[in-house]
Amino acid sequence: MAKTPFRTEVLTPEGSVFDDEVTQISTRTKTGSIGILARHQPLLGMLEPTELRLYRGESDAEVVRFAAGEGYVQVSPDGVLLLVEEAHSPDSLDIGDLRDKLGRAEDALSSAEDGTEESRRASRDKRRWEAFLRIAEGGSQ
Amino acid sequence: MSASQRDVKNRIGSVKNIQKITRAMEMVAAARLRRAEQRIEALRPYAGAIRRMTRQAAEAAGSEISGLPILKEHEAENTVALLLITGDRGLAGAFNSQIIRAGLRAAREHEGGGRAVLYSAVGRRGVSTLNFRGKEPVGRYVGFTDRPSYADAREIAEELIASYVDGKADRVEIFYNGYISPLTQEVRRETLLPLQQATILEGTERDREGAEDDDHHTHALVEYEPDPDEILARLIPDYVEISVYRALLESTASEHGARMTAMRNASENAGELIEDLTLEMNRARQAEITQEIMEVVAGAESLT
Repeated sequence: MAKTPFRTEVLTPEGSVFDDEVTQISTRTKTGSIGILARHQPLLGMLEPTELRLYRGESDAEVVRFAAGEGYVQVSPDGVLLLVEEAHSPDSLDIGDLRDKLGRAEDALSSAEDGTEESRRASRDKRRWEAFLRIAEGGSQ
Repeated sequence: MSASQRDVKNRIGSVKNIQKITRAMEMVAAARLRRAEQRIEALRPYAGAIRRMTRQAAEAAGSEISGLPILKEHEAENTVALLLITGDRGLAGAFNSQIIRAGLRAAREHEGGGRAVLYSAVGRRGVSTLNFRGKEPVGRYVGFTDRPSYADAREIAEELIASYVDGKADRVEIFYNGYISPLTQEVRRETLLPLQQATILEGTERDREGAEDDDHHTHALVEYEPDPDEILARLIPDYVEISVYRALLESTASEHGARMTAMRNASENAGELIEDLTLEMNRARQAEITQEIMEVVAGAESLT
């Protein structure tokens, strides 16, 4: 069965990175992975760093992938709007650089006192770089 | 050619070389300025969408947002953090120095009022000047002022938020060159934290006009994941990131604008200098010719 296409835009502070019709979106919210198809119930959700997949058709070749940072998803009858703080093509990720960043976040986390904003911040950074590293390593296989 | 003529000619040559460099720098700055302007434009849709989502989540949450720690004013103001946004490079007129001057003036004000001051700086110029003055910055952010990314802004914003929420600072102010036009930049001083409610509400009226239609029919059935309060608690700090990002972008555009103007002036001055020197050289040559003619005439006279 052919899936119904719907309009999707991915916006970052540095501009729009995707604006086209898709048939399915796959991403992750605070509560877990979600897939969005046409005529999804209106939704406002918070996104966790993950691999964002936009399906333009049935085959795997038509999937657009992004390493996406934290963000929000808004589903309305007009389409889907994804707001993410950063979105990179998985090929552009630099594994060495991500390992450095992850290392720094881990150091900051272990030196920060529990319950402080400093430690919350370090764990957010850590989650982001871990997710990006997984995407980068997965892509190179 | 006499020695003085050769001298002047050499000077003309070197001024011409300098003029070539300043012209090239002016053109590079103009190209970068255009790109910086585009990036300010590119931020607008994102910032607008964040604002609309905040309004939607706030209405659904139905609770007051003023309970969030970054919105709450601290009871006593003992320490103030100042973030000075400068550039990595000079040769841009008063661009860097006016920020440092404004920051130090504000610091004197605060210290006069019995408040301690913590400095942070963006850009090598700001960091090195503060170091030189013995006011070592706690946060140093360098190497990106030509092309700041959102990740740079996020890093700065998160550190400032952490210092505010954890009580290391009771107020955070930023100083940057606001971009008005390629020829005009103004020093802006803004209070970043506690986050002003006005920053969040700004522009909602305009957004409301455009969004009114979909408000009507989507409102009742929206599903929230997680609940609206939690979404709101993450949306609000985004305003701080966006404010820092916008300040970085405006500062970059201002820097290129200021450098363009400075280099145009330098090229014009070089042009004037070349004219003056050319005149001087012609005069020297004319004097030499006159001298030679007089010698010839004097020699001829002595024969008759």
